[in-house]
Amino acid sequence: MLDVRGLRKVYESSGRHVEALRDLTFSVEPGELVCLVGPSGCGKTTLLKCLAGLLDPTAGEVLVEGRPVTGPPDGMAVVFQEYGRSLFPWMTVAQNVDLPLRHKRLTRARRAQLVGDALAAVGLAASPSAYPWQLSGGMQQRVAIARAVAYEPQVMLMDEPFAAVDAQTRADLEDLIRSIWERTGVTTLFVTHDIDEAVYLGQRVIVLSSSPTVVQEDLQIDLPRQRDQLETRSLSRFTELRTHVYAEIRTAQRRTSTPAAAG
Amino acid sequence: MPRAVTRAGQILALPVALVALWWWASDGSTSIYYPPLRRIVDIFPDTWLAGGTDARLLTDVVPSLVRLAVGYGLAAGVGIGAGLLIGSYRALRELTEPVLEVFRAIPPPATVPLLVVLAGIDNLMKILVILFGCVWPVLLNTVEGVRAVDPVQADVCRSYGVTGTARIRHLVLRSASPQIMTGMRQSLSVGIILMVISELVAASDGIGFTVVQFQRTFAIPEMWTGIIVLGLLGTGLSLLFQLAENRLLGWYHGLRRAHRHE
Amino acid sequence: MSAPAAVPGAAVPRTGGGRTGPPAAVPRSVVLGLTGLAGFAAVQEVAPRLLHLPADVLPPLSSILAALATEVRTAAFWSAVEATLLQWALGLGLAVVAGVGAGVVIGSNRVLRRMTASTIEFLRPIPSVALIPLAVLQFGTELRSALLLIVYASFWQVLVQTLYGVADVDPIAEQTARSYGLGRWARVRYVLWPTAQPYVATGVRLAASVALILAITAELIIGSPGLGQEINSAQSGGATALAYGLIMVTGIFGLVINVGVRAVERRMLRWHVSVRGETV
Repeated sequence: MLDVRGLRKVYESSGRHVEALRDLTFSVEPGELVCLVGPSGCGKTTLLKCLAGLLDPTAGEVLVEGRPVTGPPDGMAVVFQEYGRSLFPWMTVAQNVDLPLRHKRLTRARRAQLVGDALAAVGLAASPSAYPWQLSGGMQQRVAIARAVAYEPQVMLMDEPFAAVDAQTRADLEDLIRSIWERTGVTTLFVTHDIDEAVYLGQRVIVLSSSPTVVQEDLQIDLPRQRDQLETRSLSRFTELRTHVYAEIRTAQRRTSTPAAAG
Repeated sequence: MPRAVTRAGQILALPVALVALWWWASDGSTSIYYPPLRRIVDIFPDTWLAGGTDARLLTDVVPSLVRLAVGYGLAAGVGIGAGLLIGSYRALRELTEPVLEVFRAIPPPATVPLLVVLAGIDNLMKILVILFGCVWPVLLNTVEGVRAVDPVQADVCRSYGVTGTARIRHLVLRSASPQIMTGMRQSLSVGIILMVISELVAASDGIGFTVVQFQRTFAIPEMWTGIIVLGLLGTGLSLLFQLAENRLLGWYHGLRRAHRHE
Repeated sequence: MSAPAAVPGAAVPRTGGGRTGPPAAVPRSVVLGLTGLAGFAAVQEVAPRLLHLPADVLPPLSSILAALATEVRTAAFWSAVEATLLQWALGLGLAVVAGVGAGVVIGSNRVLRRMTASTIEFLRPIPSVALIPLAVLQFGTELRSALLLIVYASFWQVLVQTLYGVADVDPIAEQTARSYGLGRWARVRYVLWPTAQPYVATGVRLAASVALILAITAELIIGSPGLGQEINSAQSGGATALAYGLIMVTGIFGLVINVGVRAVERRMLRWHVSVRGETV
């Protein structure tokens, strides 16, 4: 579904030369929920922008359903980290969700239905005509998720979507992602710096090294499919996996010789 | 005492007091330059409203307003259009910015004598004067607004396939609208000034022309009614602009309030 | 998070492109900007010749500059420049003093603020050119005529911005200052003024260009001595090239004002932001 082959990204500007991604290769199967986890400043956002077709890689390629990505691919929806800036403050909640559907040649009724269903799925059926800035941070991120869901993507990319919300909201939103994935079966790539979050959400966790980034480890998460904030997190297997990923990241950080290279 | 009444009292007290003061202080006035307000009010209907289709309201105020509307409308169209283009391309912006700054810096009235020669003394000249004065604030503020489009919002549009005119309509114009409106507000007051000036230099009708005719013929109370009409016009147009802005930028004021209370 | 500062499209608003960049030989924006100016000058020189435009429509740049070069050797030119400068500076100065003074007094008193709001909203949009007939009757072509128009137009810009600034004062800072026993003057000096300063700067910037517009207007319409009147007489005397040259001079005048006031404003704002950066 999503193939990343030998991806490399070097930023060059006015004499500065920053290698963000060195050599990344991995793939995501259709219907998988994969978490990418790595230390802060490891180039996660750069990677995600390359996957989304928003940045051109220096070398290597990204394939979606076998087709190389040269610009933003059609069937891909992105949920950005900065919820406060990714929604349009001049549009209501429903208009924000509707905007990407306008160019999809759907009937008005079908669009309204998609918007309504997506808002219901994220628990915002009651506030379609509110403006984003009237909502809390967690609710705003729900709107952004609804926008991605209504788009009916084949692949959903999420860039640390819960980095800026409080712990309780975060737990709710994690379960929301699981339930949407369970229901729609959409291939999901979830980027995070939070190890607990990665292990709790993912079927697979890909551990990235510090910048310049390579794949440190590709780990199957053999937890029960039905996840629960209390039960799953208290399983001894959860703790083992978590400790394992944590150790991997520590190793990755220690191995980095030039830690200040990434911005 | 309900608060609304107190509030209304606060709003009205000073204006009423000022008008009353003017009325009272000028009542026995024998100065030819400052006639009694009573007399100004008395002759106001005769001066501006009487005469059916020949009333000055129709023969002078309306032509002035039409020229202002055409000049201002053209300036807004050209300013926003060119601003979108220049703001979207960095190289173009860097190439044109100093030239535009020079043109913006020219006080528009300075061009009136030239435009009289170039475009005659008819409506065309007056519209060009207004256009030349009003276009720069709109243009330069639009450029500012367009280049300040949030990169995350731009990424959202790209990744969801919102491109071309949809992108301009739903992202760029809306995101730049606070700056565009700031420019248009500055332009409006410049436009009113230029509307009057262009008629003072050379005209056969218009509110500025009429007021100066009154002054030159020493019809002083009539001149005062003209000053009042101009004042009402300025205030009325500014009120209309405020209403339009509240409609268009309601989201922006709400957003700012939300940030402030965070 | 992990994206280096060089991500394309991550433009920082409100700074000139390249002006903040590393001190390379010559920033690209300067090169392009000068190219733009040179290109414009070339068009101004060549177009009138190619299109065979009559000299009283659009003379080539070289004859405009030649006319101006002769003009700057005359005393009349310099006295006109001086007159315009004097009107502008005096009018703006009066408007700033009155606007800031009235703004601080009105702004720091809630009842006064409410009572004057409607009157300010009504008087502010009255175009100052409406006062031209009155000014002519009362003062003729004297300096006071021009000053009346300039001060009236600029005063509101300063007043309204000052009111915004005073309204922006953090009530907690104000209460803190009170609880430490700071007197009225000290509170104005240390709490109110620093908050209002950037707003006042904006008001002065707007007022400065409005004042120039009205100074030229007064010279053009009323006949007060100055550049506006010189343009008028050059034009009516058939010296079109000179009229263009004098308009250029008013443009340079305006440019110097804009750049100067903005430089001052940026200094004030930088100070303001750095202070806020420390406290946040």
